[in-house]
Amino acid sequence: MEVLLGIQGKDFVLVASDALAITSIVAMKRNHNKTRKLNDNVLLMFSGEGGDSVQFCEFIQRNVQLNGIRRGYPLSTKAAANFTRVELAESLRSRHPYQVNLLIAGCDPDTGVPELYWMDYLASLKKLPFAVQGYGQYFCNSTMDRYYRPDMNLEEAKALMKKCINELKVRFIINFSDFVFQVVDKDGIKEIKLE
Amino acid sequence: MITFFLVLLQSGNEYNGGAVVAMVGKDCVAIASDKRFGLELLTLATDFEKIFKMNDKCYIGLAGLATDVQTLSEELKLKCDLYKLREEREITPKKFAHLVSSTLYDHRWGPYFCEPCIAGLDENNKPFICSTDLIGCINFAKDFVVCGTTARELYGICESFWEPDLGPEELFEVISQSLLNAFDRDSKSGWGAVVHIITPEKIITRHLKTRQD
Amino acid sequence: MARRYDSRTTIFSPAGRLHQVEYAMEAISHAGTALGILTKEGIVLAAEKKVTSKLLESMSSNEKIYPLNENIACAVAGITSDANILVDYARRVALSYRKTYLENIPVEVFVQRICDVKQDYTQHGGLRPFGVSFIYAGYDEKFGFQLYHSDPSGNYSGWKANCIGANSPNAHSILKQEYKEDMTLKEAKSLAIKVLSKTMDSTTLGGEKLEFATLTKKNNQIKLNSYSSKEIDALLEEEKDVINNNEEN
Repeated sequence: MEVLLGIQGKDFVLVASDALAITSIVAMKRNHNKTRKLNDNVLLMFSGEGGDSVQFCEFIQRNVQLNGIRRGYPLSTKAAANFTRVELAESLRSRHPYQVNLLIAGCDPDTGVPELYWMDYLASLKKLPFAVQGYGQYFCNSTMDRYYRPDMNLEEAKALMKKCINELKVRFIINFSDFVFQVVDKDGIKEIKLE
Repeated sequence: MITFFLVLLQSGNEYNGGAVVAMVGKDCVAIASDKRFGLELLTLATDFEKIFKMNDKCYIGLAGLATDVQTLSEELKLKCDLYKLREEREITPKKFAHLVSSTLYDHRWGPYFCEPCIAGLDENNKPFICSTDLIGCINFAKDFVVCGTTARELYGICESFWEPDLGPEELFEVISQSLLNAFDRDSKSGWGAVVHIITPEKIITRHLKTRQD
Repeated sequence: MARRYDSRTTIFSPAGRLHQVEYAMEAISHAGTALGILTKEGIVLAAEKKVTSKLLESMSSNEKIYPLNENIACAVAGITSDANILVDYARRVALSYRKTYLENIPVEVFVQRICDVKQDYTQHGGLRPFGVSFIYAGYDEKFGFQLYHSDPSGNYSGWKANCIGANSPNAHSILKQEYKEDMTLKEAKSLAIKVLSKTMDSTTLGGEKLEFATLTKKNNQIKLNSYSSKEIDALLEEEKDVINNNEEN
C-alpha cells in the first residue's frame, strides 16, 4: 500500500515517496522516511515489508559507502544499482529473502547525467525514464506516459508529479496525507516542496 | 519461502514474458527476441534486451523470469571471460552450450526460471544452435529453436517459414516474420524486436519497430 | 641463532625481521627481469624469459606477461607456479567485481585485493609466502594509466617506471636516469629495450628470450597488445641503434 515515484528530467531526477508507516489496518506514523542516501549523488527509495526494507537498505547504504572509501571516489549510480541487484538476487535464493521494492535515483556529479532505476523484490533491475513502485503503478504509469518528455525541466517535472499525486488522491483508496519530494542532481540530494 | 518457490515453479517463466528464437542458415545463424519487460500483463519497459553476446561468434538468448535472466547472463559472461583468459581462445558455441547446461544444473533444486537459446558459429564457421530447459537438458537442433511465453506460437510459424540453406538476408526475413507474427498472438511479449545475424565476417544487428500494444 | 626464526614465516627474529619473506624476495632477485614504464599514452611491459631451450615446448604463448582483465595486465618475476595461483585468483577477483558492479575494477582496489592474499601467507602459520613479485599495468576512468609493484610481503606501491628480478638495481638506475615525465609510448619502448639489453645476461636479444606488451587506450577501449616473437624481432631491429650504443659503452 505504499507508493514511490520517480521522474528523470534533463539534468535531475525528481522523486516522491509517501510517508506512511502501515501495520495491518493501522497507520502507525505519518512522517516515515523511506529513503536512504547511498552517497552524495545517489538516493535509494524503498517500500515493502517494514523490517526487511530498512534492514536491507541500510546494509546497502553502508556497503556502497564502504566501497567508496576503499577506492577513494563514490560509486556511480549504475554500479550502486547493480550492486544492490546482486545482493537482493542472492537473498532471493536464501531461506529468508528480503521483501523490498526499490527505486534508485542518481546523477553523475561530473557529467550531470541523471539516471533512474526500478527494481522489484525479485531483483529485476530496469533503467527507466520514469518509474512507479507499488499500487501507484496502476494509476500513474498512464499519466506519465501521456505527459512525460525526456527534456523536462524541474518545473515541468513538478507539474507532472502533481498530476500523478492528484490521480492517487482521487482514485486510490488510501489517503496519503504527506509525500516527501526530493531532487537528485549534480549538486547533490535535496528535499523540496512541490508548491 | 516455500510458497515463493511454488508460485514461481508454476508461473516463474510466465511472470515477465518474452520470446526468443534462433535459426540456422547457410553459413550463418540468426537469433532474435522481443523487447518487452513487464509484470504479468503490465508493461513497464520496451527496451529490455534478452540476447547477450558472449563473443563475436556466440550469442545466448534468455527468456523467463527477468531477475534470473540478468543473474544468469552475468554469470555466464564471467565464465566465458574466464575461459578466454585461461585458454587464450574464445569459447565455441557447443562448449558454451555444455557450460550453460552445467551452470543450470548446479541449481537443480532451486532453478533459474529461464530457458536459454544459444546460437553461434564454431571454429570452422559451422552453424550451431540449441536450447535447454530450465535445469539444463540440452536440445540440439538443425533448424530452429524457440523459448519463452511465445514458444507455442513460434513453433508453428517457424515450422512453416523455415527452410534449409537460407542466406543471411533471407534468414533475417524469415526469423523476423516468424517472431513478429508469433508474438502478436502473445500479450506478454512483443513491443519491438531485435535480430542478430551472425556470419563468419560480421554481425548484423537490426532493431525492429513493431505493433506497440 | 637465525635458524630458530628461519623456518617459520610468522615469527619475527630478534632483529625484527621475517626471514622467510626476505628469502622469498631473494628468490625473486634471481628470476628473469620484468619491467614496466608508465607514459601518458599507455604502459610498456617487458620481461626476460629465463629458460630457453630449443627442446622446450611452449605451452601457452606467455609465461611472464599475463592479461588479468579488460583493463589490467601484469608482468611476473619469481616462481611461475606460485604466480599461476595468484594470476588465477586475480582474474576471478576482477571478473566478479565486474559482475557485481558492471564496471571494471579500479586498479588500486585490485592490487590491494591480491596483496591481501600475499600478506595472509606471511602471517598465518605453516605456509611459505608466495615467491612472486608483480608489476601491474592498469587503467581506470578516474586515475588513468597506473603502474604498481607488489612483493611477497604484500606491500605494494605505485611507480612511473619500475623493474623487478635479476639485475634490477642496475635497471633501476638506468630507468631513474632516462625516464622523462612526458615520454611517448615509442620512447618508452626503446627505453625498455635499452634497459633489457644492458641487464640481461645473454649477449644477443631475441624474440624468443623476451616478452613484450603495451597497454593503450583507443576509441575508449583499453587494449593489451602482446607482441609475438616475430614482432619483438621487428621491434629490436627498429631499435638497433639503442642496443648497439649500449655495447659500445
